[in-house]
Amino acid sequence: MGLLDYYRQFQGLSDEEVSDELRQVAAERRARALERLEPLDLSNTTWFELPPSTVVNAVTYIARRGLHRYIDPHAAELRGELAAALAMPAEQVVVGNGAAQLLGAAVHALMEPGDELVTPWPSYPLYPLLARRARGSAVPVPGFGAEAILRAINDRTRVVTVCNPHDPTGAFLDGAEVEALLEQLPERVVVLLDEALIDYADVPREASLALLETHPRLIVFRSFSKAWGLAGLRCGYAVGGPESSTLLERLEPELGVNELGQAGVLEALRASPRVVARRVETVAAERERLVGELRALGCNVPDTQANFVWVEARGIDGAEFAARLQRAGVIVAGGARFGDPSRVRAAVQTQAAGERLLSAVRNSLG
Amino acid sequence: MKTDPTDTGGLFISRRPGTRPIKYRRLPERGSAARQTFDTALALSLAGLMIFINLLFWGPLPAGWLWIGARVFYWTDSVGFGIFVSFLGLLLTLIGALAVLKRIDHAWILVRRASGRDQRSGIIGPIFATTAVVGGTAFTFWLIFIGGLGSSIMPGQQ
Repeated sequence: MGLLDYYRQFQGLSDEEVSDELRQVAAERRARALERLEPLDLSNTTWFELPPSTVVNAVTYIARRGLHRYIDPHAAELRGELAAALAMPAEQVVVGNGAAQLLGAAVHALMEPGDELVTPWPSYPLYPLLARRARGSAVPVPGFGAEAILRAINDRTRVVTVCNPHDPTGAFLDGAEVEALLEQLPERVVVLLDEALIDYADVPREASLALLETHPRLIVFRSFSKAWGLAGLRCGYAVGGPESSTLLERLEPELGVNELGQAGVLEALRASPRVVARRVETVAAERERLVGELRALGCNVPDTQANFVWVEARGIDGAEFAARLQRAGVIVAGGARFGDPSRVRAAVQTQAAGERLLSAVRNSLG
Repeated sequence: MKTDPTDTGGLFISRRPGTRPIKYRRLPERGSAARQTFDTALALSLAGLMIFINLLFWGPLPAGWLWIGARVFYWTDSVGFGIFVSFLGLLLTLIGALAVLKRIDHAWILVRRASGRDQRSGIIGPIFATTAVVGGTAFTFWLIFIGGLGSSIMPGQQ
Protein backbone atom coordinates (compact mmCIF):
# COMPACT_ATOMS: atom_id res chain seq x y z
CA MET A 1 0.00 0.00 0.00
CA GLY A 2 1.35 3.42 -1.04
CA LEU A 3 1.83 6.27 1.40
CA LEU A 4 -1.23 8.23 0.21
CA ASP A 5 -3.35 5.07 -0.08
CA TYR A 6 -2.53 4.30 3.52
CA TYR A 7 -4.07 7.61 4.62
CA ARG A 8 -6.92 7.49 2.08
CA GLN A 9 -8.31 4.35 3.70
CA PHE A 10 -9.26 6.52 6.69
CA GLN A 11 -11.52 8.85 4.70
CA GLY A 12 -15.28 8.53 4.21
CA LEU A 13 -15.79 6.61 7.42
CA SER A 14 -18.94 6.96 9.50
CA ASP A 15 -18.64 7.96 13.14
CA GLU A 16 -19.18 4.35 14.21
CA GLU A 17 -16.47 3.15 11.86
CA VAL A 18 -14.02 5.73 13.21
CA SER A 19 -14.75 5.06 16.85
CA ASP A 20 -14.23 1.74 18.64
CA GLU A 21 -16.31 3.09 21.46
CA LEU A 22 -19.30 3.90 19.24
CA ARG A 23 -19.08 0.49 17.56
CA GLN A 24 -19.21 -1.19 20.92
CA VAL A 25 -22.16 0.96 22.02
CA ALA A 26 -24.04 0.06 18.82
CA ALA A 27 -23.34 -3.64 19.27
CA GLU A 28 -24.47 -3.53 22.91
CA ARG A 29 -27.63 -1.64 21.96
CA ARG A 30 -28.45 -4.27 19.35
CA ALA A 31 -27.68 -7.14 21.70
CA ARG A 32 -30.05 -5.64 24.28
CA ALA A 33 -32.79 -5.26 21.64
CA LEU A 34 -32.35 -8.87 20.56
CA GLU A 35 -32.37 -10.11 24.13
CA ARG A 36 -35.97 -8.99 24.47
CA LEU A 37 -38.11 -11.91 23.38
CA GLU A 38 -41.73 -11.42 22.50
CA PRO A 39 -44.01 -13.86 24.37
CA LEU A 40 -44.66 -16.98 22.33
CA ASP A 41 -48.39 -17.60 22.03
CA LEU A 42 -49.14 -21.32 21.89
CA SER A 43 -52.67 -20.98 23.21
CA ASN A 44 -54.41 -21.07 19.82
CA THR A 45 -54.78 -23.91 17.38
CA THR A 46 -54.92 -21.62 14.37
CA TRP A 47 -51.83 -21.45 12.17
CA PHE A 48 -49.49 -18.75 13.43
CA GLU A 49 -48.15 -17.42 10.12
CA LEU A 50 -49.72 -14.93 7.75
CA PRO A 51 -51.73 -16.35 4.87
CA PRO A 52 -50.00 -16.77 1.49
CA SER A 53 -49.79 -13.50 -0.43
CA THR A 54 -51.88 -14.92 -3.27
CA VAL A 55 -54.79 -15.42 -0.88
CA VAL A 56 -54.42 -11.88 0.47
CA ASN A 57 -54.30 -10.60 -3.11
CA ALA A 58 -57.45 -12.50 -4.05
CA VAL A 59 -59.33 -11.03 -1.08
CA THR A 60 -57.99 -7.55 -1.84
CA TYR A 61 -59.02 -7.85 -5.46
CA ILE A 62 -62.59 -8.70 -4.52
CA ALA A 63 -62.71 -5.93 -1.92
CA ARG A 64 -61.52 -3.33 -4.43
CA ARG A 65 -63.76 -4.59 -7.19
CA GLY A 66 -66.79 -3.69 -5.10
CA LEU A 67 -68.73 -5.22 -2.21
CA HIS A 68 -72.02 -3.54 -2.93
CA ARG A 69 -73.77 -6.52 -4.54
CA TYR A 70 -75.38 -9.62 -3.12
CA ILE A 71 -73.57 -12.76 -4.09
CA ASP A 72 -74.56 -16.30 -4.95
CA PRO A 73 -75.98 -17.57 -1.61
CA HIS A 74 -75.03 -21.13 -2.46
CA ALA A 75 -71.35 -20.33 -3.18
CA ALA A 76 -71.56 -22.53 -6.26
CA GLU A 77 -67.99 -21.94 -7.42
CA LEU A 78 -66.48 -22.71 -4.03
CA ARG A 79 -68.72 -25.73 -3.54
CA GLY A 80 -67.67 -27.00 -6.94
CA GLU A 81 -64.01 -26.59 -6.10
CA LEU A 82 -64.48 -28.32 -2.74
CA ALA A 83 -66.48 -31.12 -4.31
CA ALA A 84 -63.71 -31.69 -6.85
CA ALA A 85 -61.08 -31.72 -4.11
CA LEU A 86 -63.10 -34.17 -2.00
CA ALA A 87 -64.29 -36.25 -4.97
CA MET A 88 -67.88 -35.75 -3.80
CA PRO A 89 -70.96 -34.40 -5.58
CA ALA A 90 -71.34 -30.64 -5.01
CA GLU A 91 -74.89 -31.20 -3.66
CA GLN A 92 -73.38 -32.99 -0.66
CA VAL A 93 -71.21 -30.04 0.31
CA VAL A 94 -72.41 -26.94 2.15
CA VAL A 95 -70.27 -23.89 2.79
CA GLY A 96 -70.75 -21.85 5.96
CA ASN A 97 -69.25 -19.08 8.04
CA GLY A 98 -66.81 -21.40 9.72
CA ALA A 99 -67.33 -24.96 10.91
CA ALA A 100 -68.68 -23.55 14.20
CA GLN A 101 -71.57 -21.81 12.45
CA LEU A 102 -72.43 -24.99 10.56
CA LEU A 103 -72.22 -27.06 13.74
CA GLY A 104 -74.45 -24.56 15.50
CA ALA A 105 -76.96 -24.69 12.67
CA ALA A 106 -76.93 -28.49 12.75
CA VAL A 107 -77.50 -28.64 16.50
CA HIS A 108 -80.26 -26.05 16.23
CA ALA A 109 -81.92 -27.96 13.37
CA LEU A 110 -81.73 -31.31 15.10
CA MET A 111 -82.36 -30.69 18.77
CA GLU A 112 -85.72 -30.03 20.38
CA PRO A 113 -86.01 -28.63 23.89
CA GLY A 114 -85.07 -31.37 26.33
CA ASP A 115 -82.95 -33.30 23.88
CA GLU A 116 -79.43 -34.25 24.79
CA LEU A 117 -76.13 -33.74 23.04
CA VAL A 118 -73.48 -36.28 23.98
CA THR A 119 -69.86 -35.30 23.65
CA PRO A 120 -66.60 -36.78 24.92
CA TRP A 121 -65.13 -34.68 27.70
CA PRO A 122 -62.80 -32.80 28.10
CA SER A 123 -63.48 -31.29 24.73
CA TYR A 124 -64.10 -28.18 22.69
CA PRO A 125 -66.24 -25.96 24.97
CA LEU A 126 -68.43 -24.86 22.07
CA TYR A 127 -70.46 -28.11 22.01
CA PRO A 128 -72.18 -27.71 25.41
CA LEU A 129 -72.83 -24.08 24.51
CA LEU A 130 -74.52 -25.09 21.25
CA ALA A 131 -76.72 -27.58 23.13
CA ARG A 132 -77.80 -24.90 25.61
CA ARG A 133 -78.57 -22.46 22.79
CA ALA A 134 -80.81 -25.11 21.23
CA ARG A 135 -82.54 -25.38 24.63
CA GLY A 136 -81.24 -28.87 25.07
CA SER A 137 -78.60 -30.15 27.42
CA ALA A 138 -75.08 -31.42 26.98
CA VAL A 139 -73.96 -34.74 28.36
CA PRO A 140 -70.19 -34.73 28.75
CA VAL A 141 -68.75 -38.23 28.61
CA PRO A 142 -65.43 -38.78 30.33
CA GLY A 143 -62.91 -40.26 27.92
CA PHE A 144 -62.78 -40.52 24.18
CA GLY A 145 -64.04 -43.49 22.21
CA ALA A 146 -67.07 -45.24 20.85
CA GLU A 147 -67.72 -47.29 23.98
CA ALA A 148 -67.77 -44.31 26.31
CA ILE A 149 -70.17 -42.48 24.02
CA LEU A 150 -72.49 -45.45 23.62
CA ARG A 151 -72.80 -45.84 27.38
CA ALA A 152 -74.21 -42.28 27.60
CA ILE A 153 -76.85 -42.73 24.91
CA ASN A 154 -80.47 -42.77 26.05
CA ASP A 155 -83.93 -41.96 24.64
CA ARG A 156 -83.36 -38.22 24.85
CA THR A 157 -80.03 -38.29 22.97
CA ARG A 158 -80.37 -36.59 19.61
CA VAL A 159 -76.84 -35.52 18.73
CA VAL A 160 -73.34 -36.86 19.28
CA THR A 161 -70.51 -34.45 18.59
CA VAL A 162 -67.06 -35.87 18.12
CA CYS A 163 -64.05 -33.66 17.55
CA ASN A 164 -61.64 -35.74 15.52
CA PRO A 165 -58.68 -35.28 16.04
CA HIS A 166 -59.90 -34.49 19.48
CA ASP A 167 -59.43 -31.02 20.88
CA PRO A 168 -57.73 -30.75 23.37
CA THR A 169 -56.22 -34.22 23.77
CA GLY A 170 -55.19 -34.89 20.16
CA ALA A 171 -56.69 -38.41 20.32
CA PHE A 172 -58.07 -39.82 17.10
CA LEU A 173 -60.90 -42.17 16.14
CA ASP A 174 -60.08 -43.98 12.93
CA GLY A 175 -62.64 -44.80 10.26
CA ALA A 176 -63.40 -48.24 11.67
CA GLU A 177 -64.13 -46.84 15.13
CA VAL A 178 -66.38 -44.13 13.74
CA GLU A 179 -68.20 -46.75 11.68
CA ALA A 180 -68.60 -48.98 14.74
CA LEU A 181 -70.07 -46.05 16.65
CA LEU A 182 -72.48 -45.20 13.84
CA GLU A 183 -73.72 -48.75 13.56
CA GLN A 184 -74.48 -49.07 17.26
CA LEU A 185 -76.25 -45.74 17.66
CA PRO A 186 -80.06 -45.63 17.72
CA GLU A 187 -81.86 -44.45 14.60
CA ARG A 188 -82.67 -40.92 15.85
CA VAL A 189 -79.09 -39.99 16.86
CA VAL A 190 -77.03 -37.93 14.42
CA VAL A 191 -73.24 -37.83 14.63
CA LEU A 192 -71.63 -34.45 13.97
CA LEU A 193 -68.02 -35.25 13.24
CA ASP A 194 -65.95 -32.09 13.71
CA GLU A 195 -62.83 -32.58 11.61
CA ALA A 196 -61.49 -29.04 11.89
CA LEU A 197 -58.05 -30.50 12.68
CA ILE A 198 -58.10 -33.43 10.25
CA ASP A 199 -55.36 -31.93 8.06
CA TYR A 200 -52.84 -32.56 10.85
CA ALA A 201 -53.65 -36.25 11.29
CA ASP A 202 -51.39 -38.96 9.87
CA VAL A 203 -54.36 -40.73 8.29
CA PRO A 204 -56.16 -40.59 4.95
CA ARG A 205 -58.52 -37.62 5.01
CA GLU A 206 -61.11 -39.56 3.05
CA ALA A 207 -61.80 -42.23 5.71
CA SER A 208 -64.76 -40.42 7.26
CA LEU A 209 -66.07 -39.24 3.89
CA ALA A 210 -66.25 -42.84 2.72
CA LEU A 211 -68.77 -43.53 5.51
CA LEU A 212 -71.18 -40.86 4.28
CA GLU A 213 -72.50 -43.03 1.49
CA THR A 214 -73.84 -45.65 3.84
CA HIS A 215 -74.51 -43.59 6.97
CA PRO A 216 -76.99 -40.77 6.42
CA ARG A 217 -76.82 -39.87 10.12
CA LEU A 218 -73.24 -38.68 9.81
CA ILE A 219 -72.28 -35.12 8.94
CA VAL A 220 -68.62 -34.16 8.64
CA PHE A 221 -67.49 -30.60 9.37
CA ARG A 222 -64.22 -29.12 8.25
CA SER A 223 -62.61 -25.73 8.54
CA PHE A 224 -60.18 -23.39 6.80
CA SER A 225 -59.21 -21.87 10.14
CA LYS A 226 -56.62 -24.36 11.33
CA ALA A 227 -53.99 -25.79 8.97
CA TRP A 228 -55.14 -23.45 6.19
CA GLY A 229 -54.54 -20.48 8.49
CA LEU A 230 -57.58 -18.49 7.36
CA ALA A 231 -59.46 -18.17 10.65
CA GLY A 232 -60.26 -14.53 9.96
CA LEU A 233 -62.19 -15.41 6.81
CA ARG A 234 -64.66 -17.51 8.84
CA CYS A 235 -65.15 -20.20 6.29
CA GLY A 236 -65.84 -23.89 6.74
CA TYR A 237 -67.89 -26.61 5.12
CA ALA A 238 -70.04 -29.58 5.95
CA VAL A 239 -70.30 -32.78 3.98
CA GLY A 240 -73.13 -35.27 4.21
CA GLY A 241 -74.34 -38.38 2.48
CA PRO A 242 -76.79 -38.51 -0.45
CA GLU A 243 -79.68 -38.88 2.00
CA SER A 244 -78.62 -35.93 4.15
CA SER A 245 -79.53 -33.25 1.65
CA THR A 246 -82.51 -31.98 3.67
CA LEU A 247 -80.37 -31.42 6.74
CA LEU A 248 -77.51 -29.95 4.71
CA GLU A 249 -79.87 -27.37 3.21
CA ARG A 250 -80.80 -26.24 6.72
CA LEU A 251 -77.17 -25.65 7.62
CA GLU A 252 -76.47 -23.22 4.84
CA PRO A 253 -76.41 -19.52 5.84
CA GLU A 254 -79.53 -17.83 4.44
CA LEU A 255 -77.69 -15.31 2.28
CA GLY A 256 -74.48 -17.27 1.89
CA VAL A 257 -70.92 -16.81 2.98
CA ASN A 258 -69.33 -13.39 2.58
CA GLU A 259 -67.62 -12.75 -0.74
CA LEU A 260 -64.21 -12.02 0.73
CA GLY A 261 -64.15 -15.34 2.54
CA GLN A 262 -65.18 -17.21 -0.58
CA ALA A 263 -62.51 -15.52 -2.67
CA GLY A 264 -59.75 -16.21 -0.14
CA VAL A 265 -60.69 -19.84 0.36
CA LEU A 266 -61.10 -20.44 -3.35
CA GLU A 267 -57.63 -19.08 -3.99
CA ALA A 268 -56.22 -21.12 -1.11
CA LEU A 269 -57.76 -24.31 -2.50
CA ARG A 270 -56.28 -23.63 -5.91
CA ALA A 271 -52.87 -22.33 -4.92
CA SER A 272 -52.00 -23.32 -1.36
CA PRO A 273 -52.27 -27.10 -0.93
CA ARG A 274 -48.48 -27.34 -0.98
CA VAL A 275 -48.22 -24.66 1.70
CA VAL A 276 -50.63 -26.61 3.89
CA ALA A 277 -48.81 -29.87 3.21
CA ARG A 278 -45.54 -28.24 4.32
CA ARG A 279 -47.14 -26.96 7.52
CA VAL A 280 -48.62 -30.37 8.28
CA GLU A 281 -45.26 -32.01 7.68
CA THR A 282 -43.58 -29.55 10.04
CA VAL A 283 -46.17 -30.11 12.75
CA ALA A 284 -46.10 -33.89 12.40
CA ALA A 285 -42.35 -34.04 12.90
CA GLU A 286 -42.34 -31.50 15.71
CA ARG A 287 -45.21 -32.97 17.74
CA GLU A 288 -43.53 -36.37 17.83
CA ARG A 289 -40.33 -34.78 19.09
CA LEU A 290 -42.18 -32.63 21.63
CA VAL A 291 -44.19 -35.52 23.02
CA GLY A 292 -40.97 -37.49 23.52
CA GLU A 293 -39.10 -34.59 25.12
CA LEU A 294 -42.00 -33.65 27.40
CA ARG A 295 -42.37 -37.23 28.58
CA ALA A 296 -38.64 -37.30 29.26
CA LEU A 297 -39.15 -34.24 31.47
CA GLY A 298 -41.72 -36.17 33.49
CA CYS A 299 -44.87 -34.73 31.97
CA ASN A 300 -47.91 -36.81 31.17
CA VAL A 301 -48.60 -36.30 27.47
CA PRO A 302 -50.89 -38.48 25.36
CA ASP A 303 -50.14 -39.22 21.72
CA THR A 304 -51.59 -36.55 19.48
CA GLN A 305 -52.80 -36.33 15.92
CA ALA A 306 -53.46 -32.61 16.15
CA ASN A 307 -51.28 -29.51 16.21
CA PHE A 308 -51.06 -29.35 19.98
CA VAL A 309 -49.96 -31.35 22.98
CA TRP A 310 -52.11 -31.94 26.05
CA VAL A 311 -49.69 -31.69 28.94
CA GLU A 312 -49.95 -32.55 32.60
CA ALA A 313 -47.06 -31.59 34.80
CA ARG A 314 -47.22 -34.00 37.67
CA GLY A 315 -47.80 -32.26 40.99
CA ILE A 316 -48.66 -28.91 39.41
CA ASP A 317 -52.16 -27.65 38.78
CA GLY A 318 -52.90 -26.70 35.16
CA ALA A 319 -53.55 -23.03 35.97
CA GLU A 320 -50.34 -22.81 37.98
CA PHE A 321 -48.43 -24.58 35.21
CA ALA A 322 -49.83 -22.15 32.61
CA ALA A 323 -48.90 -19.20 34.84
CA ARG A 324 -45.33 -20.49 35.23
CA LEU A 325 -45.02 -20.99 31.49
CA GLN A 326 -46.32 -17.49 30.90
CA ARG A 327 -43.70 -16.09 33.26
CA ALA A 328 -41.15 -17.94 31.12
CA GLY A 329 -42.54 -16.19 28.03
CA VAL A 330 -44.77 -18.95 26.63
CA ILE A 331 -48.54 -18.60 26.63
CA VAL A 332 -50.57 -21.82 26.63
CA ALA A 333 -54.27 -22.56 27.06
CA GLY A 334 -55.26 -23.70 30.54
CA GLY A 335 -57.13 -26.99 30.61
CA ALA A 336 -60.01 -25.70 32.78
CA ARG A 337 -61.92 -24.28 29.83
CA PHE A 338 -61.84 -27.70 28.16
CA GLY A 339 -62.92 -29.53 31.30
CA ASP A 340 -59.63 -30.72 32.80
CA PRO A 341 -58.01 -28.16 35.11
CA SER A 342 -54.98 -30.39 35.71
CA ARG A 343 -53.60 -29.88 32.18
CA VAL A 344 -52.60 -27.28 29.64
CA ARG A 345 -52.84 -27.30 25.86
CA ALA A 346 -49.82 -26.05 23.93
CA ALA A 347 -49.84 -25.60 20.18
CA VAL A 348 -47.16 -27.24 18.05
CA GLN A 349 -45.52 -24.86 15.62
CA THR A 350 -41.93 -24.84 14.48
CA GLN A 351 -38.86 -26.44 16.00
CA ALA A 352 -37.76 -23.06 17.38
CA ALA A 353 -41.13 -22.62 19.08
CA GLY A 354 -40.86 -26.17 20.40
CA GLU A 355 -37.46 -25.40 21.89
CA ARG A 356 -38.86 -22.36 23.66
CA LEU A 357 -41.74 -24.41 25.03
CA LEU A 358 -39.37 -27.11 26.28
CA SER A 359 -37.11 -24.50 27.84
CA ALA A 360 -40.10 -22.88 29.58
CA VAL A 361 -41.31 -26.29 30.82
CA ARG A 362 -37.84 -27.04 32.20
CA ASN A 363 -37.80 -23.69 34.01
CA SER A 364 -41.31 -24.24 35.32
CA LEU A 365 -40.57 -27.70 36.66
CA GLY A 366 -37.15 -26.84 38.03
CA MET B 1 -39.36 -12.36 14.02
CA LYS B 2 -39.31 -13.54 10.45
CA THR B 3 -39.08 -10.67 7.98
CA ASP B 4 -38.31 -12.44 4.73
CA PRO B 5 -41.34 -12.11 2.41
CA THR B 6 -41.11 -15.83 1.68
CA ASP B 7 -41.75 -16.41 5.38
CA THR B 8 -44.50 -13.85 5.79
CA GLY B 9 -46.83 -14.70 2.97
CA GLY B 10 -45.28 -12.09 0.73
CA LEU B 11 -46.22 -9.30 3.09
CA PHE B 12 -43.73 -6.75 4.31
CA ILE B 13 -42.99 -6.88 8.00
CA SER B 14 -40.30 -4.60 9.32
CA ARG B 15 -37.71 -5.52 11.90
CA ARG B 16 -38.12 -4.68 15.52
CA PRO B 17 -36.40 -1.35 16.23
CA GLY B 18 -32.72 -1.72 16.99
CA THR B 19 -32.32 -5.24 15.67
CA ARG B 20 -31.02 -4.35 12.21
CA PRO B 21 -27.78 -6.23 11.48
CA ILE B 22 -24.78 -3.95 11.96
CA LYS B 23 -22.63 -3.88 8.88
CA TYR B 24 -19.37 -1.96 8.52
CA ARG B 25 -17.12 -1.63 5.54
CA ARG B 26 -13.69 -3.22 5.86
CA LEU B 27 -12.13 -1.15 8.59
CA PRO B 28 -8.70 0.50 7.87
CA GLU B 29 -5.55 -1.29 8.86
CA ARG B 30 -3.51 0.87 11.17
CA GLY B 31 0.27 0.82 11.00
CA SER B 32 2.72 -0.23 13.69
CA ALA B 33 3.14 1.65 16.99
CA ALA B 34 6.10 3.53 15.49
CA ARG B 35 4.02 4.50 12.51
CA GLN B 36 1.29 5.74 14.80
CA THR B 37 3.82 7.78 16.81
CA PHE B 38 5.08 9.27 13.56
CA ASP B 39 1.49 10.08 12.57
CA THR B 40 0.91 11.78 15.92
CA ALA B 41 3.92 14.00 15.26
CA LEU B 42 2.81 14.61 11.67
CA ALA B 43 -0.67 15.64 12.90
CA LEU B 44 0.95 18.08 15.33
CA SER B 45 3.05 19.51 12.48
CA LEU B 46 -0.06 19.96 10.31
CA ALA B 47 -1.84 21.69 13.18
CA GLY B 48 1.20 23.93 13.62
CA LEU B 49 1.18 24.75 9.90
CA MET B 50 -2.51 25.66 10.12
CA ILE B 51 -1.82 27.96 13.09
CA PHE B 52 1.04 29.58 11.19
CA ILE B 53 -1.11 30.21 8.09
CA ASN B 54 -3.94 31.57 10.23
CA LEU B 55 -1.57 33.97 11.99
CA LEU B 56 -0.41 35.25 8.59
CA PHE B 57 -3.94 36.66 8.14
CA TRP B 58 -3.42 39.06 11.05
CA GLY B 59 -0.20 40.84 10.10
CA PRO B 60 2.18 39.67 7.43
CA LEU B 61 -0.38 39.24 4.62
CA PRO B 62 -2.13 42.63 5.05
CA ALA B 63 1.24 44.32 5.58
CA GLY B 64 2.72 42.64 2.52
CA TRP B 65 -0.19 43.68 0.29
CA LEU B 66 -0.13 47.22 1.68
CA TRP B 67 3.57 47.39 0.75
CA ILE B 68 2.77 46.10 -2.74
CA GLY B 69 -0.04 48.69 -2.99
CA ALA B 70 2.44 51.40 -2.02
CA ARG B 71 4.82 50.22 -4.71
CA VAL B 72 1.98 50.27 -7.29
CA PHE B 73 1.16 53.87 -6.20
CA TYR B 74 4.85 54.76 -6.62
CA TRP B 75 4.98 53.21 -10.14
CA THR B 76 1.61 54.48 -11.43
CA ASP B 77 1.22 57.64 -9.35
CA SER B 78 -2.41 56.53 -8.73
CA VAL B 79 -3.38 56.07 -5.09
CA GLY B 80 -6.74 54.53 -6.05
CA PHE B 81 -5.15 51.85 -8.18
CA GLY B 82 -2.62 51.11 -5.42
CA ILE B 83 -5.46 50.62 -2.87
CA PHE B 84 -7.41 48.47 -5.38
CA VAL B 85 -4.41 46.19 -5.98
CA SER B 86 -3.80 45.89 -2.23
CA PHE B 87 -7.38 44.90 -1.40
CA LEU B 88 -7.85 42.59 -4.38
CA GLY B 89 -4.55 40.84 -3.71
CA LEU B 90 -5.35 40.47 -0.01
CA LEU B 91 -8.81 39.08 -0.73
CA LEU B 92 -7.54 36.53 -3.26
CA THR B 93 -4.71 35.50 -0.96
CA LEU B 94 -7.18 34.99 1.92
CA ILE B 95 -9.49 32.85 -0.20
CA GLY B 96 -6.57 30.78 -1.49
CA ALA B 97 -5.17 30.36 2.01
CA LEU B 98 -8.55 29.21 3.32
CA ALA B 99 -8.76 26.61 0.55
CA VAL B 100 -5.29 25.38 1.47
CA LEU B 101 -6.26 25.33 5.17
CA LYS B 102 -9.27 23.18 4.41
CA ARG B 103 -7.14 20.65 2.59
CA ILE B 104 -4.64 20.60 5.41
CA ASP B 105 -7.49 20.14 7.91
CA HIS B 106 -8.77 17.13 5.92
CA ALA B 107 -5.27 15.68 5.87
CA TRP B 108 -4.98 16.34 9.61
CA ILE B 109 -8.19 14.31 10.26
CA LEU B 110 -6.83 11.34 8.28
CA VAL B 111 -3.42 11.49 9.96
CA ARG B 112 -5.04 11.71 13.40
CA ARG B 113 -7.17 8.63 12.59
CA ALA B 114 -4.06 6.85 11.35
CA SER B 115 -2.38 7.69 14.65
CA GLY B 116 -5.16 5.78 16.46
CA ARG B 117 -7.28 8.72 17.60
CA ASP B 118 -11.11 8.75 17.50
CA GLN B 119 -11.09 11.79 15.19
CA ARG B 120 -14.51 12.60 13.76
CA SER B 121 -14.21 16.32 12.86
CA GLY B 122 -11.56 18.86 11.82
CA ILE B 123 -9.75 21.51 13.83
CA ILE B 124 -9.98 24.43 11.42
CA GLY B 125 -12.73 26.20 13.37
CA PRO B 126 -11.01 26.29 16.78
CA ILE B 127 -7.67 27.29 15.19
CA PHE B 128 -9.27 30.09 13.21
CA ALA B 129 -11.09 31.40 16.29
CA THR B 130 -8.01 31.24 18.52
CA THR B 131 -5.70 32.88 16.03
CA ALA B 132 -8.35 35.54 15.34
CA VAL B 133 -8.33 36.49 19.04
CA VAL B 134 -4.53 36.35 19.32
CA GLY B 135 -3.79 37.95 15.92
CA GLY B 136 -6.56 40.54 16.23
CA THR B 137 -5.35 41.59 19.68
CA ALA B 138 -1.73 41.81 18.50
CA PHE B 139 -2.75 43.81 15.41
CA THR B 140 -4.84 46.20 17.47
CA PHE B 141 -1.95 46.70 19.90
CA TRP B 142 0.42 47.38 17.00
CA LEU B 143 -2.03 49.72 15.32
CA ILE B 144 -2.75 51.79 18.39
CA PHE B 145 0.55 51.84 20.22
CA ILE B 146 3.21 51.16 17.59
CA GLY B 147 1.80 51.83 14.09
CA GLY B 148 0.00 54.65 12.35
CA LEU B 149 -2.40 55.77 15.08
CA GLY B 150 0.36 56.11 17.66
CA SER B 151 1.35 59.67 16.70
CA SER B 152 -2.18 61.05 17.04
CA ILE B 153 -3.12 59.17 20.24
CA MET B 154 0.30 59.71 21.81
CA PRO B 155 1.38 63.21 20.68
CA GLY B 156 5.02 62.74 21.83
CA GLN B 157 5.69 60.27 19.04
CA GLN B 158 6.51 61.11 15.42
